[in-house]
Amino acid sequence: MRLDNIVVVAKREYSQRIRGKGFWIATLILPLFVVAAAVLPSLLLAKSRAKQRVVVVDTTGQVAPRLLEKRPDDRKSQVKEQVASFEFVVEPPARDPQAQRAELDRRVLAKEIDAWIWIDEQVLTGKPVEKPVEYHAKSVSNFMTQEVLRDDLSYVVRRVRLADAGLDPDRVGSLSAPVDLDTVRISKEGSRAEGGLAGAAFAYILFLLLYMVLVIWGQQVMQGVLEEKSSRIIEVVLSSVKPFELMMGKLTGICLVGLTQFGIWLGTLAAVSAPGVIASIAGLPEGVKLPTVTPVMVLHFLLLFILGFFVFSTLYAAIGASFNNLQEAQQVAGVAVFFLVIPVFLMIRIINDPSSTFAVVTSLIPLFTPLLMTLRISLEMPPLWQILLAYALTFGFLLGMVWICARIYRIGILMYGKKPTFQELWKWIRYA
Amino acid sequence: MEPMSYSLELRDVRKSYGKFVAVDGVSLGVPEGSIFGLLGPNGAGKTSTIRMIMDITAPDAGEILFFGRPRQPEDLRRVGYLPEERGLYRKMGVTEHLIFLGEIRGLKRRELLPRIEKWLERVELTAWSKAKIEELSKGMQQKVQLIGTVLHEPDLLLLDEPFSGLDPLNQELFKDLLLDYRQQGKSVILSTHGMELAERMCDHICLISKGRVVLTGELGALKRQMGGNTFRLVAEGNLDRVESLPEVEHAVAQNGVVKLMLRPEAEGP
Repeated sequence: MRLDNIVVVAKREYSQRIRGKGFWIATLILPLFVVAAAVLPSLLLAKSRAKQRVVVVDTTGQVAPRLLEKRPDDRKSQVKEQVASFEFVVEPPARDPQAQRAELDRRVLAKEIDAWIWIDEQVLTGKPVEKPVEYHAKSVSNFMTQEVLRDDLSYVVRRVRLADAGLDPDRVGSLSAPVDLDTVRISKEGSRAEGGLAGAAFAYILFLLLYMVLVIWGQQVMQGVLEEKSSRIIEVVLSSVKPFELMMGKLTGICLVGLTQFGIWLGTLAAVSAPGVIASIAGLPEGVKLPTVTPVMVLHFLLLFILGFFVFSTLYAAIGASFNNLQEAQQVAGVAVFFLVIPVFLMIRIINDPSSTFAVVTSLIPLFTPLLMTLRISLEMPPLWQILLAYALTFGFLLGMVWICARIYRIGILMYGKKPTFQELWKWIRYA
Repeated sequence: MEPMSYSLELRDVRKSYGKFVAVDGVSLGVPEGSIFGLLGPNGAGKTSTIRMIMDITAPDAGEILFFGRPRQPEDLRRVGYLPEERGLYRKMGVTEHLIFLGEIRGLKRRELLPRIEKWLERVELTAWSKAKIEELSKGMQQKVQLIGTVLHEPDLLLLDEPFSGLDPLNQELFKDLLLDYRQQGKSVILSTHGMELAERMCDHICLISKGRVVLTGELGALKRQMGGNTFRLVAEGNLDRVESLPEVEHAVAQNGVVKLMLRPEAEGP
């Protein structure tokens, strides 16, 4: 084996791809895609942020005035502000409720107001009532808006009820305040406060990014091999470079491309998750803490990426070499994708309990290790022996894969014509 | 006869694919400074033989000698190989591609650049040096392939059907190159099924059919020796039976034309 040949081939692969527009587009677009998936829902909801005019007909006479007051201790006010805000117009109940209701409906249809609510007298009794408060609007699918309205109404009604019963609403409020869970992640490097949800979100984003690089660059390996075959450059190259050198050079070059991309993303993620940065950008409410990425974690992520890349890409290279065009190869490439998708299904269970027996066992299976160990490390650092065992198992598995795939590749790459059968592939593997 | 020094020698080389015997004990020697024609119809075993020479596939048995000694991995870098199935990376630039082809033969970028410049000038492609391969016409791509074959200044050229698909201009370019090589005392192996071409260009030939060497030697001598016994037979229909006639030493059928080589003692028809 000549190392310089591998270097020349790897250099070509790397410089060709890194200069291509496709690489930079993918590098920029994919994180945007992931972020968009997280941010888009709230952006869409922001559409309804314009103040909604709501007419309140209050038959009790006690609820509406307080609804106009600002709540002093609203813990969710910031979130609610994002979802909906209201401009309440209080109107007294008319003598003919039917006529008043018809008139209000007309005003909604004429877009003079957005909605109207009707507060029943019985609401203050605290007994179950058939229709304590009615909400009438053109669309009633805006459940987030209704949730805010329900919350505000409940608050006011509850205070009136308490006052009626001779209790001090403020005192009851402070006594019945819910308890917060302050999440602290324990690790050898010392405990630190961390948002549970933010930690899971970080692990989730990292997992998806790794999944994407493995799929994208694995497919690229396959396409590259097919291209060499179909453009018939392969025989010229093989006269100077051994098939194994060509395969390893190709994998190394494309691995470095993937590593560059993954490194850019990981670096961005680490920079953004540094204390204070994201809070100042996204204006996160105070108290939400983000996970931090340590250099040791980054090192593990990169190593796992390299292992994962080589495991799947040797498979992709062998598939590419065995077939004549992308359509044929794509059918079999599903096998590789299948093994990449299984961890996606296991992910939720592992996020819930990253140190369970289930998580430990599945993360030690070589084909799943790259994705699942990355997930576990990003959630909580597993014991060192588990990480080392996973590395050893995956590396051993990789050597076996390279041995088999290199044999298929070596023969397949010069075969044109019909699709090989599985018996033929088996023969290629055994053929010295 | 004085012992000839060979650039390349094959001794009883065999290769089978499963039950199919592609090369069945081929022995041949390419004398230094010759244009050597490896002749035979399609499927005779030419490409299989060439792939073994280039160590793309391994022979089942036999010896391959380069420059008088068993083949070393380094020897392959002294060969300029142009396969029948030839192509280029479509997305690469012309100069860039040629650098890659030079580098896989162990040359450094800085020694390659002036050579590439010189060659592009010779084939009038200087203006296209930065263009991508896919932007080039087919004829221009053939020129790039030609440069790629000789860029590392090989001591032996191995060309598999070099003239198939070439436009007339490039055919001339290739011919000039072959004659250049012979003049420098280097050898050229030319694999082809076109007999006329071989007759015009080669000074030594080896005719193979069904994996066996039928005839090999210096072309002039062969002509004098066999000339009277070789015929072209143009006929319709199935000509397989001709081969089994007792007077026929060998028959090569192609496109309804059969070349008959009769046994020396046989009388002409």
